[in-house]
Amino acid sequence: MSDKQSQVILDVKGLRKYFPIRRGILQQVVGNVRAVDDVTFYVNQGETLSLVGESGCGKTTTARCILRAYPPTAGQIFFRAEDGNVLEVAKLPPDQIQPFRRQMQMIFQDPFSSLNPRMTLLDIVGEPLLVHGEKDANKRTERVAELLRLVGLRPEYMRRYPHAFSGGQRQRIGIARALALNPRLVVADEPVSALDVSVQAQILNLMLELQEKLGLTYLFVAHDLSVVKHISTRVAVMYVGRIVETAPTEEIFSAPRHPYTEALMSSVPKPDPRLRSERIVLQGEVADPANPPSGCYFHPRCRYMTDVCKEKAPALEEITPRHYVSCHRARELTLRGVVNK
Amino acid sequence: MQNGNKPLLSVRNLKTYFFQDEGTVKAVDGATFDVYPGKTLGIVGESGCGKSVTAQSILRIVDQPGRIVEGEIILRRADGSEVDVTRLHPDSKEVRDLRGAEIGLVFQEPMTSFSPVHTIGNQLIEAVRLHCGGNEKEARQHGIEVLRSVGIPKPERRIDEYAFELSGGLRQRAMIAVALSCDPRLLIADEPTTALDVTTQAQILDLLRELQKQRGMAIMLITHNLGVIAEMADDVVVMYLGRVVEAGPVDDIFHNPKHPYTKALLHSIPSIESAPRIKLPTISGSIPHPYNRPSGCPFYPRCESFMLGVCDAQEPALIAVNALQKVSCFLYQDR
Repeated sequence: MSDKQSQVILDVKGLRKYFPIRRGILQQVVGNVRAVDDVTFYVNQGETLSLVGESGCGKTTTARCILRAYPPTAGQIFFRAEDGNVLEVAKLPPDQIQPFRRQMQMIFQDPFSSLNPRMTLLDIVGEPLLVHGEKDANKRTERVAELLRLVGLRPEYMRRYPHAFSGGQRQRIGIARALALNPRLVVADEPVSALDVSVQAQILNLMLELQEKLGLTYLFVAHDLSVVKHISTRVAVMYVGRIVETAPTEEIFSAPRHPYTEALMSSVPKPDPRLRSERIVLQGEVADPANPPSGCYFHPRCRYMTDVCKEKAPALEEITPRHYVSCHRARELTLRGVVNK
Repeated sequence: MQNGNKPLLSVRNLKTYFFQDEGTVKAVDGATFDVYPGKTLGIVGESGCGKSVTAQSILRIVDQPGRIVEGEIILRRADGSEVDVTRLHPDSKEVRDLRGAEIGLVFQEPMTSFSPVHTIGNQLIEAVRLHCGGNEKEARQHGIEVLRSVGIPKPERRIDEYAFELSGGLRQRAMIAVALSCDPRLLIADEPTTALDVTTQAQILDLLRELQKQRGMAIMLITHNLGVIAEMADDVVVMYLGRVVEAGPVDDIFHNPKHPYTKALLHSIPSIESAPRIKLPTISGSIPHPYNRPSGCPFYPRCESFMLGVCDAQEPALIAVNALQKVSCFLYQDR
């Protein structure tokens, strides 16, 4: 196996997840919501790949398929386990899912609903240890104390209940729980979007620190481009169930190649009144994933649309090294990015 | 502008408390600011800073057991007469005449603020007939016009649809249409774009700006998003735990902030314009629980410029530091 490949921890190929629409007394399938529609990407060991897009673009569904919280409709998900073996997650039989999940853990969006109010921190953070076979209560307590220290909470708090903690602290608890089993890949689904702005920075810093310390790999799902820019090494932009562009963070922000990426960045309000720029305001609405438009899904809203866009769906192509774009005009267009201050 | 340079709405030392068995929550504790005709005032702050309760106080829709305990809310009517909203009974005809007709309100979540069992038209026509009069037919015609003015395609058809049939962006447009149906002079928008995606948010912000230009109305924009404030506001009020900590023109707030909280907040937000993967400066700790309000300046436990024996002992007053900017911090006061 080549050197480049050995770094890949997660390799997703042609992933699809359709949710059937049923109607009538017989509940016949009359159509499909194509939540994830042919998604291909990879994540290298030790990096942060962000899936970014608007609501309904399929970013969360993609993450859930990878965790096998949903069975994928089609496609392959390869995960490199600790021992070097490559697992085909999409086809894993049900009895093998649990041991595999030890290596892949999740941080949830809402720290208020993702922690059981009737369990103490010791139970919450210790539960994954128990489920995965650590029967010795003392060892569990020790490990929980270690984890709480790691995420910046005092171990003395472990007999308290979640209500005693603020939103930021609760998110730290969620992170401690995700790290309990030393996972190799952490899937973080909007981990800071429910937090106050002054607390977001604390959690983002913590995630960066933990990544350095523990060599974690993150798959980060978010809609907030400013947050994404702060945490990611690479970014994948999704639109109506498809990836439209993937590139290293600095590159995708300074020189986007897909018109949707350009518009998305342009519509983020900049915290500086002197930059009230002419934003690109997209007209119309996000396409319906149950009934997507022909050709390129973005063409009805695209400023650079040509005839071919209406007929043929563009493939995801590598335009420059590590920069993949799915647009017929990617090579000819010069698009506006974000200038660093 | 009408009324020269007099504010349309003046809030003076407003205090709205919630009296609960566990204790008193001082949701708004001495807020003071002005809204000028044709201008946008941005009110920014994190959760629990009292920005929404301030809006509710102005419309007198504070939920029980909340009560305005002190302060004035002076609204200057079109004819120049003034009315102190705090002195009116919340159920009185006077207050109901203000709602909708003088002050329109846009809520954060358009899905929960519309009734799911009535059509958009039902709710829009109800508002029009209640506040502007007219018969059913005229009100419906007016409703269609308003829906068209907020950029809803095919308003003749959309008016008979239910809220769930509209997308998030269209629903928020419909919400704005209801708020604007009686041509209010002040629009209060409480987190109008927080539940929306960025591209839809850009559409709604553009729409608000456009409508303000056409109608010359004042907007009070409440949000936690500093980007939205920078984009929209003329003047800014920064709130923390029920108090105004800093107020001034938008450019000064962003480029010459005075209060340690404003400074820290501006530094700690992740920006799309900074380099990737750098550590952000943070504000230590978290927002205190409303029952455990710190004594003295509410920000002192998290403040880098905290002065022992000063900040924790007395409350700083909101005083002018220059012609336009006001700050409530002991760093700028003679003690």
